[in-house]
Amino acid sequence: MTGAQLVIELLSRQGVKEVFGYPGGAIMPIYDALYGAPVKHYLTRHEQGAGFAAVGYARSTGKLGVCLATSGPGATNLITALADAMMDSVPLLAITGQVPTAAIGSDAFQEIDVLGMSLSCTKHSYMVEHVDELAEVLQEAMHVACSGRPGPVLVDIPKDIQMAQVPFHPWLADEVEEYAEVDLAQLTKANELLANAKRPVAYIGGGVQSADAQAELMDFLNASTMPAVSTLKALGSVLPSYQYDLGMLGMHGGQAANLAVQQCDLLVCIGARFDDRVTGNLAKFAAKAKVIHLDIDRAEIGKRKPVAAMLHADLKASLPKLKPARTSSSWLDTISAMQTQHGWRYDYPGHEIYAPALLNQLSQKLPPNAVVCCDVGQHQMWVAQHMKFSHPSNHLSSGGAGTMGFGLPAAIGAQIARPDDTVLTVSGDGSIMMNIQELATIRRNNLPVKILILDNQRLGMVRQWQQLFFEGRYSETNLSDNPDFVQLAAVFGIPGQTITEGQEVAQAVDNFVNAKGPYLLHVCIDDKANVWPLVPPGAANDEMMTENA
Amino acid sequence: MKHQLTLAVKKHSIAIERFLRVARHRGFALTSLELEGAKNDELFHIKMTVDSDKPIYLLTTQLSKLVEVKDVQLQTLKQQAV
Repeated sequence: MTGAQLVIELLSRQGVKEVFGYPGGAIMPIYDALYGAPVKHYLTRHEQGAGFAAVGYARSTGKLGVCLATSGPGATNLITALADAMMDSVPLLAITGQVPTAAIGSDAFQEIDVLGMSLSCTKHSYMVEHVDELAEVLQEAMHVACSGRPGPVLVDIPKDIQMAQVPFHPWLADEVEEYAEVDLAQLTKANELLANAKRPVAYIGGGVQSADAQAELMDFLNASTMPAVSTLKALGSVLPSYQYDLGMLGMHGGQAANLAVQQCDLLVCIGARFDDRVTGNLAKFAAKAKVIHLDIDRAEIGKRKPVAAMLHADLKASLPKLKPARTSSSWLDTISAMQTQHGWRYDYPGHEIYAPALLNQLSQKLPPNAVVCCDVGQHQMWVAQHMKFSHPSNHLSSGGAGTMGFGLPAAIGAQIARPDDTVLTVSGDGSIMMNIQELATIRRNNLPVKILILDNQRLGMVRQWQQLFFEGRYSETNLSDNPDFVQLAAVFGIPGQTITEGQEVAQAVDNFVNAKGPYLLHVCIDDKANVWPLVPPGAANDEMMTENA
Repeated sequence: MKHQLTLAVKKHSIAIERFLRVARHRGFALTSLELEGAKNDELFHIKMTVDSDKPIYLLTTQLSKLVEVKDVQLQTLKQQAV
């Protein structure tokens, strides 16, 4: 068999059934091997679309996502998706074609040093230098992508190696993962802290999904009756029915979530990394609290905030070892009062469409296993604030990288991975244009992806910051020359509807949710609408700006 | 503050770029570097000195994660406790 055929054979043996990509000169042997192969290839209309479709596939299932691209510009177009997967710890395998070995270093046509480019945006990367190492490299790459803290791995394969004959390699024995055991002294310390805390809060991160530890998390929370706050990526980890779920914390977090963290005396960080969007002013973040940090990545523990106890282990193993906290009833009374005082309100006056209310209505009408993808900006924060999720794999939002253009291709990947579930993407009029070409992928594959565009004819989040922090100097954020999005969708054979008035929302949301195929709902909202609350730059999380402040 | 580290790194040409990039990106300036790799040895043996105001564990924990880095030892000065 050829190296190219071996690539497809190994993917198939690893259980990869679907891949995303775009062909070109240096990866043609692999595309030839794909022809008629059991691994189904989905052609996107840009390599970035392939990368994000693979991310959506991975995040909605927990399985490895795979994307393919040719050398040079094909490979560079994948880079943003790799960076996104790196920041959000997504198991991703990117296979790129490279010019033939003899041409490397000669500035050949479509030759880019993608291995060099990959260094800062992958967990690991390889260039295959000889066909005899191809099988081992690929198997190791898949293992590295999925093990420990997951992440993207790139394998660059020169064209001559794809075409070379290689003896069939039996599947290598899977490496047995050796995770650090929970340190008993640290565990004792953590349990002492839990026993002595009066005002504990659990701070939940994306590690819960990576470890498939939602059940262990809920067991711990239920036993402790501990208030819980979540990062953007963790939303859905805490079941919506949990009484003391305070939702998202941080820059656009809920007031109750932020205030609870600021007042707690023990912060139990579970698979999170004290990101700057979460902490605000770090010196003032949970300043009265001792910290227990649970994480599989040792480098995250103590990176931003000193800890009193650390459990460096897989969350699935470490969470059950924690003893329940003795959360005081007065603390729970305080939390309940915060929830009542700072709950979201949807009684927005006026006839215009109020995006938070629309998203809340939409959330209530979706089936429990619907997958909601997002782009980046105001709409992304409204989704995080006003929609509920039963599992983190049902909320796909570009967290660490904050990549506009993520949502549409991620929804394509999620829909292919979960064909029986409702999949939608909520986007803004800025973000949707970043990968609009993927409407063709939806049409080509008749995917029933639903697209909701919240259109304020602005780059809304930037506009909001210009209003608040740049003296209203609205530099390059006016998008009043947007195309007609419904007509644009129609060109791709996708039906849709525009709404402009609050009274149209209920019917339009019904049409949207119940549409059998793909559908685009174009929602015109006030260009002055802002996301509240907001922790301004440099401020502590209890110094939130609110709409009426 | 200066710190001296010794590393054992798999003998891949890209591995050198990879750990040096991590050191730079995490805010540790390279002040010296010695690299040895005998022909039959599968590892590079590296001595490097870095300078930074940041605690050294912020670098050693990141280097230890790299697939090609097989060992990281801090040779001088006390490592700041987490």
